[in-house]
Amino acid sequence: MPASAASVAPPRALAPARARPRTKRRRFQVTPLGLLGWLFLAFLLLFTVVPMAWMVSTSLKSEFAAIQQPPVWIPSEPSLDQYTRLLSPAGETGRQFLTYLRNSVWVSLATTVIGLVVAVPAAYAFSRFTFPGRDMLFFSVLVRNMFPAVVFLIPLFILMRRMNLYGSQWSLILTYLTFGLPLSIWLLKGFYDNIPPELERAARIDGATRFQAFRLIVLPLSAPGLVATAIYAFIQGWNEYVYARTFITDESKMTMPVGLEKFFTEYASNWPGLMAASFIMSVPVVVLFLLLQRYFVQALTEGAVKH
Amino acid sequence: MAGMSLREVYKTYDDVVAVDRVSLEVEDGEFVALVGPSGCGKTTTLNLVAGLIELTDGDILLGDRAINDLDPKDRDLAMVFQNYALYPNKNVFDNLAFPLKMRGMKKGEIDARVRKTADILSIGPLLDRKPRQLSGGQQQRVALGRALVRNPKAFLMDEPLSNLDAKLRVQMRAELKRFHQELRATVLYVTHDQMEAVTMADKIAVMSGGVLQQYGTPDEIYERPVNTFVAGFIGSPAMNLTRAAYVAADGGGFVRGSEGWEHPLSAVNAERAGRSSGEVVVGIRHSQVRIYREARPGTVAAQVYTVEPTGDLTYVHFRLGGQLLVASEDADFRAAPDDPIWVEFDQDHLHLFDATTEQALFRIGAAAANGTERAREGA
Ligand SMILES: Nc1ncnc2c1ncn2[C@@H]1O[C@H](COP(=O)(O)OP(=O)(O)OP(=O)(O)O)[C@@H](O)[C@H]1O
Ligand SMILES: [Mg+2]
Repeated sequence: MPASAASVAPPRALAPARARPRTKRRRFQVTPLGLLGWLFLAFLLLFTVVPMAWMVSTSLKSEFAAIQQPPVWIPSEPSLDQYTRLLSPAGETGRQFLTYLRNSVWVSLATTVIGLVVAVPAAYAFSRFTFPGRDMLFFSVLVRNMFPAVVFLIPLFILMRRMNLYGSQWSLILTYLTFGLPLSIWLLKGFYDNIPPELERAARIDGATRFQAFRLIVLPLSAPGLVATAIYAFIQGWNEYVYARTFITDESKMTMPVGLEKFFTEYASNWPGLMAASFIMSVPVVVLFLLLQRYFVQALTEGAVKH
Repeated sequence: MAGMSLREVYKTYDDVVAVDRVSLEVEDGEFVALVGPSGCGKTTTLNLVAGLIELTDGDILLGDRAINDLDPKDRDLAMVFQNYALYPNKNVFDNLAFPLKMRGMKKGEIDARVRKTADILSIGPLLDRKPRQLSGGQQQRVALGRALVRNPKAFLMDEPLSNLDAKLRVQMRAELKRFHQELRATVLYVTHDQMEAVTMADKIAVMSGGVLQQYGTPDEIYERPVNTFVAGFIGSPAMNLTRAAYVAADGGGFVRGSEGWEHPLSAVNAERAGRSSGEVVVGIRHSQVRIYREARPGTVAAQVYTVEPTGDLTYVHFRLGGQLLVASEDADFRAAPDDPIWVEFDQDHLHLFDATTEQALFRIGAAAANGTERAREGA
């Protein structure tokens, strides 16, 4: 899943840069090694930010300015034409684009919601109950993640055909769940493991049913884990290309990554349009991440890693 | 409030027997301490009463109603946990209010009750804080408050003071005792600190290896331990226990250690020792050992090992044969290591146990107390 990895990286690399003014001044004086660290981070930042900046810059140019030599960073006559064209349902391009957007939102949201509904009780059960075959099951949940996703393309393709889901968006939702659930369950289990069972016991003695104890005490405490899991699942569905390309043939059902590719072949010369579409596609992921990165980091440090 | 009965309570985890047929009567309004070494099944017993884990066998009654199959929420018990188990995402007010909310109490009444409880425990100013913003002692009060805020049939407490520093522990011990006396609450209190048990409880249940060893008042347990385990567990410093052979003679007899030391027995004690298999364990508390600087009839020679002045009194550790024993003397007692001394065990306070069965050899006529008898039958 290189696509998702790439879009996860920018906000993470941005984080230290934003924190810089607040870090204690001592840090700068310390050592040449520290300086080296900062240089490295700056390099990483450059590496991730430049393409994004270039994308935004191009999306504001005219078609002609976009292929101008030598290239310029700041467009001389910036315009939002491409954005209005993509987002207005009046034109053909806009209609198409908005369909892709809607499809992506639907597939990603469905993956996220169903994923949570399944992962939460599963992780809780793995964490709290002992049952025959528990360790075996938990291990087998993780086995999926040991293979690259593409390995499953053909088997899943055959499976979807047999189930008459080929061409339906449900084939994608099911596939993304297959890939997303193991990590979700693993991440959430780490969270539940760190919540002392005495809390639930106390709640049950205080008059809660087993389920109320879970809903009122455990669930709120695992909120960071839920958020992180949700973001992960959403991004996974949002960025996925290979399966979306293989399982969906009907244009009205296609998701953004595949839609973008169509744009690329159909409007090959319209770089600003392509960049504007790319930018719109990356916005939800970046915004989600910036809003919730606090939870995400907490989830990775408090939940899974400690375990 | 209500009394509580445990009848043949039995719990196994796979092949581990955690609680082995424990029977216990807790009267209404009684404070019962459950003591024993780590892993002896105290917490398991408490959780069984609370309904947090399932009985393998036996019955638990609250009042005269069997509660075996009731859900914890329907048992109407309150519990204080060792690690307090405060809800970390709720502030103190909401922690105290939670049990009331769960029982569907009205907002106004919840408010009044929480504030009243907070006042009693002097945590009124802390109501808006989250548990992590409280000191250990304050957290402990909140945990207690959450149990006190409603009127449960009985309280269960699992080492509620063990996370506090020594000074606070003594203070909270007094507060807990006072609160029990004011409310006449039925309390089942788990601790591995026998000091806590002796100072607070109406009755003490001593457990070891999942088995109830003895159940009785602190005095009974202290004065008449039924076996060597209870004798060694209750009391600080621990009772001196030393193995010896019983040798009969005219007008009594004596016990002889394997290294040859001999201590005479009174006629009564000789009769007790005579009921043994021949080998006995002699038990004597530090306060019942008398120390002399010169030989006397009825004493046995020993050497000072070390002297520990504590302020109120001085502990004298001494070597008798190969064993180290301890006696307590006046605060101004001083001696150098290896000084020769002569010790005498008080015949009226001598504990004798059969070395094979480790059971007490009681004086005939002084029948064991009720609880003691029951505990021995159960064992
Ligand atoms: N969930 C469990 N699974 C298996 N064995 C258990 C479980 N809980 C407790 N035990 C075992 O049961 C025995 C009693 O445990 P318990 O927690 O009741 O001891 P305790 O007297 O409370 O000890 P401590 O003073 O250390 O708290 C121990 O041998 C323990 O290992
Ligand atoms: Mg315990």
